[in-house]
Amino acid sequence: MQLNSLSYLIFLSAAVVVYWLLPHRFRRGFVLAASLVFYATWGIAFVTVPVVVCLLVYAGSRLTLSDTGRARLWMWLGIFCATAILVFFKYREFLLLSMMPVASWFTGHTYSFARTVALPMGISFYTFEAIAFFTDIRQGRVKKVGFIDLLLFFLFWPNVMCGPIVRARELVPQLQFRFGFEPRFVFEGTDRVIWGLVQKNVVANILGIWVDKGFAASTAAPSTVDSWFLAIAFGLQIYFDFAGYSNIAIGAARLLGVTLPENFRQPYHAATPADFWSRWHMTLSRWIRDYLFFPINAKWKGAAFPLYLSMLGVMGLVGLWHGAGWNFILWGLLHGAYLVLFRMYEAVKGEGASVAPSSFTTALWRVLTLIGVTTAWVLFRAPNLNKVSAILTSMFARHTMTAAYSQTFYLITVAVALFCAVEPLLMRTLAEIEERAGLEGPSLFRIVGRPIAYFLGLLLFMLFDEHNAQFIYSQF
Amino acid sequence: MNLDSEAIRSAAREAVLEITSRALKEGQKLVSSGLIDSLSILRLITLLEKKLQLSIPPETLQPEDFDDLDLIVETVKRVAVPAH
Repeated sequence: MQLNSLSYLIFLSAAVVVYWLLPHRFRRGFVLAASLVFYATWGIAFVTVPVVVCLLVYAGSRLTLSDTGRARLWMWLGIFCATAILVFFKYREFLLLSMMPVASWFTGHTYSFARTVALPMGISFYTFEAIAFFTDIRQGRVKKVGFIDLLLFFLFWPNVMCGPIVRARELVPQLQFRFGFEPRFVFEGTDRVIWGLVQKNVVANILGIWVDKGFAASTAAPSTVDSWFLAIAFGLQIYFDFAGYSNIAIGAARLLGVTLPENFRQPYHAATPADFWSRWHMTLSRWIRDYLFFPINAKWKGAAFPLYLSMLGVMGLVGLWHGAGWNFILWGLLHGAYLVLFRMYEAVKGEGASVAPSSFTTALWRVLTLIGVTTAWVLFRAPNLNKVSAILTSMFARHTMTAAYSQTFYLITVAVALFCAVEPLLMRTLAEIEERAGLEGPSLFRIVGRPIAYFLGLLLFMLFDEHNAQFIYSQF
Repeated sequence: MNLDSEAIRSAAREAVLEITSRALKEGQKLVSSGLIDSLSILRLITLLEKKLQLSIPPETLQPEDFDDLDLIVETVKRVAVPAH
């Protein structure tokens, strides 16, 4: 069941009504049952995967807490097992395919294998939550958590599909559901869900139709204009797709009174490459920072060579997390290279030099960051390295100015890009207008008018839309 | 280790001023507000070690342990050991 489908809206509405009608003591059991049903809609057999991961985390965390002499061993064993399950489902084929040419070269035989194992929904996300849980237990940040609480933490339906990636210490206490009903939960939650649906079903899906055609086209040498538009359009599509999903997830949790962490903060307004990662998929960046980057560099006290090496390595892993393919690894490595270059610049010029207010350097870094991020999206999206090469050559080396796509594509891309450009200004202006008019807080427009306006527009689109594309991040 | 909270507070203020060129206010968030990143936290740890003449083993730390003055004091008191 996709989060942007009519069936999910019916499921969500029914679940929220039943949830608030139930006495407190039944709510935990109900949300767990609803989460299991939601997960089972992707295949009943798949439910066993998060349940097994949960059993593993439960047993491993108990051993880490009770057997203090070998706590470190239990933590690492738990992390290894959780990662092994992820590798089996997500990277098995990639590893075999990558190793086959080497094996063939050594033995002279040709190898092949049957592709049979499907990817359980959300496995990349709950595996990261499991690794964080083991680390937090070992560091004393999380105390003993019961099996049912843990299962609910991993399976909580609003964010099980593609995050936000949460830590047990911020979600488990909320999953006791000790909240009394407050109208703001419904208003805030509905507003987020509907805005997320508009982002995904209207903006991302419309851009996606052209992006899919553009990247699938057999044109050997697309023009410079078309290549840049294609890269920009995909950058906008993936932003609205994943930010839309995140808003639906955050809004659905809010309808139950639960607060999930934010995942996006106008990423295309990033001032530097490092700033981009503090605005894009923020909960993944936080995970990478807390459980990979900081521990590695803390050992070396931030020394330059290990720092640069870890930036490349960690970003390569971020790429691999997004997908089992060399294009994703290269995408991550390219972002790693941006971070290294930026850090080198700061090391020479002094920290903060790139974000000095109103300077030429500030503007230059903004532009370079945007160009760098857009260029990297080509690696992320192109179906093969030949296509990557053709598009990047057109973007930077061989300039041709023909425009082969429909005018609508260029107009929509420009319109969405302009919206992104003025979004912070728009938000500030709206807040100021509401403040001046004394409408701050739950005004009639905010709590009733806006959701109704979104919903009517969206309903029309959903009724007539046959495209119903899945979320890009649900493939990770 | 028996450490003076005020000494840690004062060292943390000086260190943050050195890193960000801004004075750290009481209750102001460092990491969650984006004022400093994880690399600056590493510099903060090194500066605290130098100013307070102690060692802060990083194994059990996360950047959010240094999110504000109170947390810095609590973290240093919890994990610091005498400098070698």
